[in-house]
Amino acid sequence: MNTLINGLCLGGIYALIALGYTMVYGIAKMLNFAHGDIIMVGAYTIFSTLALMGHPIPAVIVAVVVCTVLGLLTERVAYRPLRGASPLAVLITAIGVSYLLQSIAQLIYGSKSQSVSMGNLGSVTLFNNVSVSISSILTLGLCLIIMVALTLFVKKTKVGCAMLAVSEDRAAAQLMGINVNGIITLTFAIGSALAAFASTFYLMQIPSVTPTLGSMPGIKAFTAAVIGGIGSIPGAMIGGILLGVIEKFALSVPVLAPYTTAIEFGLLIVILLFRPTGLLGKKRREKV
Amino acid sequence: MNAQQKLPAEKKKIKLKHYINYLLILALLIPFSITGLAGNIKGSTSLLLTQIAYSMILAVSLNLVVGFLGELSLGHAGFMCVGAYLGGYFANQMHAVIGSKLVVLILSALVGGLMAALFGLLIGLPTLRLKGDYLAIVTLAFGEIVRTVFMNQEIFGGALGLDTQKYGKTLYIAALVFAIVTVFVAQNLMRSKHGRAIQAIRDNEIAARAMGVNITYYKLAVFVIAAFFAGIAGVIYAHNTTPVDYGFFSFNYSIEILVMVVLGGMGNITGSLLAATVLTFINVKLTTQLSGDLAALKFLLYALILILMVMWNNAPKLAGLRAKVNFRNLVLWIKQTVFRLTHKTPEGGEEPPTNAAWDKIPTKIEMDAVLSTDLKPDRSFEADKPQAPTKGDKQ
Amino acid sequence: MKKFTKLACLVFALVFCAMGLISCGSASYTANNTTYVIGCTGPLTGDAASYGQSVNNGAKLAVKEINEKGGLNGVLFSFEMVDDVAAADKAAIGYTSLFEKGMQISLGSVTSGSAKSFAEAAKEDNVLFMTPSASAADVIAVGDHGFRVCFGDPQQGTIAAEELTKTYTKIGVIYDTSDPYSSGIYEAFEEKMGALNKTKDTDYVVKTFNKESNKDFSTQVGDLKAAGCDVLFLPFYYTEAGLVAKKAAQENYNVPIFGCDGLDGIADQLGNTVTAEVKYITPFDLNSEDAAVKAFVDAYKAEYNALPDQFAADGYDAVMILFEAMKKANVNDVTISASDLTDLIKPILTGGEFKYSGVTGKNMTWDAEGSCNKDANIVTLDR
Repeated sequence: MNTLINGLCLGGIYALIALGYTMVYGIAKMLNFAHGDIIMVGAYTIFSTLALMGHPIPAVIVAVVVCTVLGLLTERVAYRPLRGASPLAVLITAIGVSYLLQSIAQLIYGSKSQSVSMGNLGSVTLFNNVSVSISSILTLGLCLIIMVALTLFVKKTKVGCAMLAVSEDRAAAQLMGINVNGIITLTFAIGSALAAFASTFYLMQIPSVTPTLGSMPGIKAFTAAVIGGIGSIPGAMIGGILLGVIEKFALSVPVLAPYTTAIEFGLLIVILLFRPTGLLGKKRREKV
Repeated sequence: MNAQQKLPAEKKKIKLKHYINYLLILALLIPFSITGLAGNIKGSTSLLLTQIAYSMILAVSLNLVVGFLGELSLGHAGFMCVGAYLGGYFANQMHAVIGSKLVVLILSALVGGLMAALFGLLIGLPTLRLKGDYLAIVTLAFGEIVRTVFMNQEIFGGALGLDTQKYGKTLYIAALVFAIVTVFVAQNLMRSKHGRAIQAIRDNEIAARAMGVNITYYKLAVFVIAAFFAGIAGVIYAHNTTPVDYGFFSFNYSIEILVMVVLGGMGNITGSLLAATVLTFINVKLTTQLSGDLAALKFLLYALILILMVMWNNAPKLAGLRAKVNFRNLVLWIKQTVFRLTHKTPEGGEEPPTNAAWDKIPTKIEMDAVLSTDLKPDRSFEADKPQAPTKGDKQ
Repeated sequence: MKKFTKLACLVFALVFCAMGLISCGSASYTANNTTYVIGCTGPLTGDAASYGQSVNNGAKLAVKEINEKGGLNGVLFSFEMVDDVAAADKAAIGYTSLFEKGMQISLGSVTSGSAKSFAEAAKEDNVLFMTPSASAADVIAVGDHGFRVCFGDPQQGTIAAEELTKTYTKIGVIYDTSDPYSSGIYEAFEEKMGALNKTKDTDYVVKTFNKESNKDFSTQVGDLKAAGCDVLFLPFYYTEAGLVAKKAAQENYNVPIFGCDGLDGIADQLGNTVTAEVKYITPFDLNSEDAAVKAFVDAYKAEYNALPDQFAADGYDAVMILFEAMKKANVNDVTISASDLTDLIKPILTGGEFKYSGVTGKNMTWDAEGSCNKDANIVTLDR
């Protein structure tokens, strides 16, 4: 039970990161490997503003602003000049940006991990003496809210529809008068803002920051996004939570624990074998 | 060079083109072998060359998958890991039986390569029907799974890694020879009818299938061959480094190989070789030169170099500039200048000697390069290299 | 196109020909030395960067102090650390580049895996190394040119088992399966527990993690809490241990925490939520009243505006030990080759007469294997 709740919490974080991944992938058609490092930047921003102001809420706001600006900046400087070039070229600049952010963080904050205290919100005891910390509930609840809000945004608003159109067919969307560059920029802004939220929840669960904080959650969230079907918002959520729960269960069984990573990625392979485009991914028929 | 007759000239050209890759490796191999066999090569040079050699093997073999077959693979380090652990383990057993290190190296390379190929078959068989990025993530997952599993086996040394016996300072000679073999196989495969089938799959899978190309067979074959060579690279690694450490074969290393392929050019073996050499060289030099407190700058510089190189090679907006300022034009310009200085012909002599062949229609780029020697820089390119010949005129 | 590539290749060939001629190994890389060069590799970037950074700081402080006092017979020292990202292959590259830059004696490497690689490479050239912190037994077993300042893994595991079974009835253990340091200590611990007739799951409960999942410890802590363990034994580094402690505090699971020398440095990782008692085996106590330690801590604070941890102290001591040994050997030639220096220093270190008292222990001696004999003390973190 405990493991399940822990898994859900971790899964919530993965899901939030995966949402960012999946949005950017769905619309810009690029794997943004720097996404994990934007989370790292968000975490360091929270760390710095907490030290200055002492209250988490302004820290989160500042982090959202910083991450969004950073997301826009990287998109403008590193990705937009390569629009129209091979997607692999963009993949590599994304990796370059990832290295760049990591080394800048190390130069500014040093390599030692810094402790961040988001404040202990306490915990509540549910049935069967299972105590759940409030931050866990908050993480999951907010994840859910964000997901629903995003889905509504994409489905119901005009801008959201434009996003869908761009992800379906960029050229056709452009012909329909949609500002493709603007939409892609907006997607990066939303994805980066989500990353800032992800770093908030991350710090609630794991209260310390290092320059390499983002890389592993980044890869796992990428995996989660693929499990759920890349490009699908509820898919990212399901994939993230599934991955978090599996990871926690594997870690709690002593025999399996050393193989946790193998099990997580094994799950991915198995799922893709049966559903080649992920759990909720759209099947695309190839046209000649 | 001076093509009087059309036919032999063409033949000659084809040959030269195909030997370039070997020449490139031999350029590394021969001079260093002379010093190496004389017994006084620097340790660092030997390590660097070995690393260049296995990077070359990895880049060329990954290029088969990514560049020629058109499938993205992010798990190449996983196959290398299989080769390093299993080949290394096999070599450890063999050292007791066979005295000659070279024989052990060759045998273990075969074993490591075959085991990696087997893994390639096992992972490729069910997953190659996946498309694009889904296949990419499966290969990434494979790489992570493989190294975690190996790390947890006590027989392979557990967390500290597998102990192997080092080959010694002359390993790079063998490694470069392996690189030549890799290039030989890759190049000849891609020039055969099988190669054309493989490239047809990349260009249009449906059309290729309609033409009767057995898609699954070729995809699997390329995957297995690439895995085989990655395995060999792993064995070389195991003979170069002890202990074989699972952390090395992480996803980051797969990406590093991919970077070599992309920078070198998809489906361009020469490019892969050059990129592997240059990137490995930069990486090693940055690591060893930026010591102590400067070390954090290493990734900063590497990242900047990476981003700028990719931008330069790929950004659509820079296409015009790229056509003006490139290595080819630089070479052309050097040739022209040399030609002018040596011949001292004031009129008409600017014509570079090679473009005289009537049958060769100059491409637009070469036209520009030729013309730019005469034109005033009235066009908006801020490129300065093609203008430089005017300075040469004044001399 | 063909022309261009051909020419490019020719240019490359020429360049490499030239390089091939330049790169002939010379018999002595130390001939042009004007200082005694101490080399070392360690992680300066990546996940383990803070450990390498600490050693680098400690060692540089030691070199600075030596130089301020006039060096050895008027010859100064210099120190260089090359980044190895805690990877074996980079440690070997780092070693050769240092060796060719004139390294005469070394601190080996910071982490166990790369230290082993370093040791293998240094064996060929007979370069002595005194590793500050690579504690795996295999590292100094590579050859008799290897020494260490820290305790060995087996030693610590055994001490921990003895110490913990004295006071506690059920020990909760978490260790890192992907880290040689952590799993090395755990193996020794398990062995000793077996010898003490303690059984797994009843007397001690074991949970693991690995490099890929070393951030969120909710499961491990939750399981150990549910199992009713009355102490947590954390044989790994302070970065992860801090996370475990914070997670335990979050779950209101305030049992004492016990660790090994890697835990040193945990003080600023705990935040303000952790109230549990933290104890660890360490040769270095930040709050010690000892004059040498105090002087070191003050100097370190003045130099880097931070508190030293065990890595920094070990780095400092390692340089000082080498200096003292060289002084005792009365080394008088700045261009002495690494191999000659090793042959001079080795008998002094293992001779039994050489004793060194520094910030990580008093009266340290070294046996022929290269491991350091010093008293282990258990320190309670003072907050």
